[in-house]
Amino acid sequence: MNGKGMEQTKTVVYNLLSLVVVAIIWSVFSYWQNSPFFPSLPAVWRAFVGLITHGDIEQIGLGAHIWASLVRIFAGFAAACVLGIPLGLALGLYPRVYNRTRAILEPVRFIPPIAWIPLAIVLLVGFSRYAFLIWLGAFFPIFITTLLSVTRVNPVHVNVAKVFGARRWYIIRKIVIPSVLPDIATGMRVGLGIAWMCIVAAEMIGGEMVGVGRLILKYAELIRMPEIIVGMLVIGVIGFIMNEIFIIVERRIFRWRSEVSID
Amino acid sequence: MASQLIDVNISKKYAGMDVLDNIKFAVEQNEFLVIVGPTGCGKTTLGNILSGIERPTAGQVKIRGEIIDPHRHNISYVFQEPSCIPWYTMIQDVTMGLEIRGVDGARTMERGKEVIKLVDMVGFEDYYPWQISGGMKQRVAIARAYATNPDFLIMDEPFGHLDAQTRYLMQIEIMRIWGQERKTVVFITNNIEEAVYLASRILVLSKLPAHIKCEHVVDLPQPRDLTSTEFLEFRAAITKECEIVE
Repeated sequence: MNGKGMEQTKTVVYNLLSLVVVAIIWSVFSYWQNSPFFPSLPAVWRAFVGLITHGDIEQIGLGAHIWASLVRIFAGFAAACVLGIPLGLALGLYPRVYNRTRAILEPVRFIPPIAWIPLAIVLLVGFSRYAFLIWLGAFFPIFITTLLSVTRVNPVHVNVAKVFGARRWYIIRKIVIPSVLPDIATGMRVGLGIAWMCIVAAEMIGGEMVGVGRLILKYAELIRMPEIIVGMLVIGVIGFIMNEIFIIVERRIFRWRSEVSID
Repeated sequence: MASQLIDVNISKKYAGMDVLDNIKFAVEQNEFLVIVGPTGCGKTTLGNILSGIERPTAGQVKIRGEIIDPHRHNISYVFQEPSCIPWYTMIQDVTMGLEIRGVDGARTMERGKEVIKLVDMVGFEDYYPWQISGGMKQRVAIARAYATNPDFLIMDEPFGHLDAQTRYLMQIEIMRIWGQERKTVVFITNNIEEAVYLASRILVLSKLPAHIKCEHVVDLPQPRDLTSTEFLEFRAAITKECEIVE
C-alpha cells in the first residue's frame, strides 16, 4: 500500500518535471526565434488571462467558448452512443447481418469527418451540423468496439446459462451485456476523445461565433498565435481531463474486472 | 440391476472428421461413472453432447427415454475451463441455475447458502472470482452444479487446471459431497488414478476417433486409499487390461 502511494507520488513528480522541461525548451526556442509566430510562455499566459477577463475580439469569454463546444460534443457523442451501442450489439449477435452489409459499413468508417463538411453544409443547418460531424467521429469507435466485444464473450459463460435451460433473452441480458460493458466503456472513451478532436472541423461550418474551435479560427484569420495556442491547449487539457475522469469511472464500475491489479 | 437413467448412443463428426465413433453406454441412477480418455480424444465434445448444449451428428442422448434438452431436463455441468461469472459474487453465481428456473428468492438464498456450506466456502458469499483461488473457483462451480439438485451431473475434467495437491483435496471433497447428496454423475478425466479413486464404474475411450475401448466396474470400498495395495493393484490391472499407456 505504501509502495503504491510512493509510486503515485513519483508519477506526479515526473509528469511535472517533463512539463517543466517542455516549458524550458519552448522558452529557449521562442527567445531564439524572437518572432510573433513563436510566442513566449508569458505571451500565451497573457492571452489566456485576456480571453478570460475581456473575452475575444467579440467580447465572448473563454468560458462561453468552452461551454458551447462541450454542449455540442456531448450532443454528438450521445447520438453516437444511442445509435452505436444498440447497433453494435445487434450486429454482434447476428454476425451474418454484419457480414452481409460490411461493404456499406466499412468504407464509411474510413471517410474522415472533414470530408463530410460540404455535404453537411448543403444538407444540414445550425446545431445539427455540429452534432452530425461530431457524431461521425464518435460513432465508429463505439459501434466497432461494441460489435467486436460481442464476438469475444467467453463461450463457457454462455454455456453455464445454457445448461440450466436459459433462454436467449436471459443470456443476452445476464451474460452478453455485462461481459461487453467494459469494452463498450472503452469504445465510448475513445469515441469521446475523437468527438472532441472533431470540434474544430465542426465549428468551421457551424456558423456561430462561439466555440473553442471557432475561437482558434477567428484568431487564425488575424494570425494571432498566442490566442490560437490558448485554444489548442484548452482543447488538449479538456480532452485529457475528460479521459482521466472516464478512466476513473470505468475502474469504479468494473471492479470485478481488476483481476490483474490485485494480488 | 439398478434402473437406467441415461441412455447414450451417439456419433459426432467435425468438418467430416470422425470425433466420436458410435459411443454407446448407459448410466444408472445414482451411479458415479468415470470416462477416461487421452488428451484430445473428444472428451469435452462428449461432455457437451451429454449436457444437451451440443448436438450429435447421429444418434441421441436420452434421459428416461426422452431426448435430453436443457430446457426440459434438470442437468448440471461442471466445465473444464474456469467458469465462474466474473461479475457475479459467489452467492449470485451458485444460485444462477435456480434463478433461471424461476425458483422464488427466499428458497434460492436458502439453497445457495446450503451448497456454499456443502463445498466449505462459508464466509466467501460476497467475494468475486478475482478475489479467490483457482481451487475455490472450482468448488463454486461444483456448488452451482449441485444447487439445482440435478437429475444428471456432468463433470468435464473439473480439476484439470489445479495443482496436484489441490486436485487431491478436491477429489476427497467431491467424494464427500457425493456421499451427502448422491447424484447421477458422469465424470470425465484423462487421469486413471483419479478415475479409480472416484468411480463406481469406468469407461475407457480410445484415441481419435474415440470409441469405448473397455468398461470396468470398480468394486473397491469407499473411501479409497490411493496408496493401498488393492488400489495400486486395481489401477495396474485396469491399465493393463484396457491398454492404457501411462
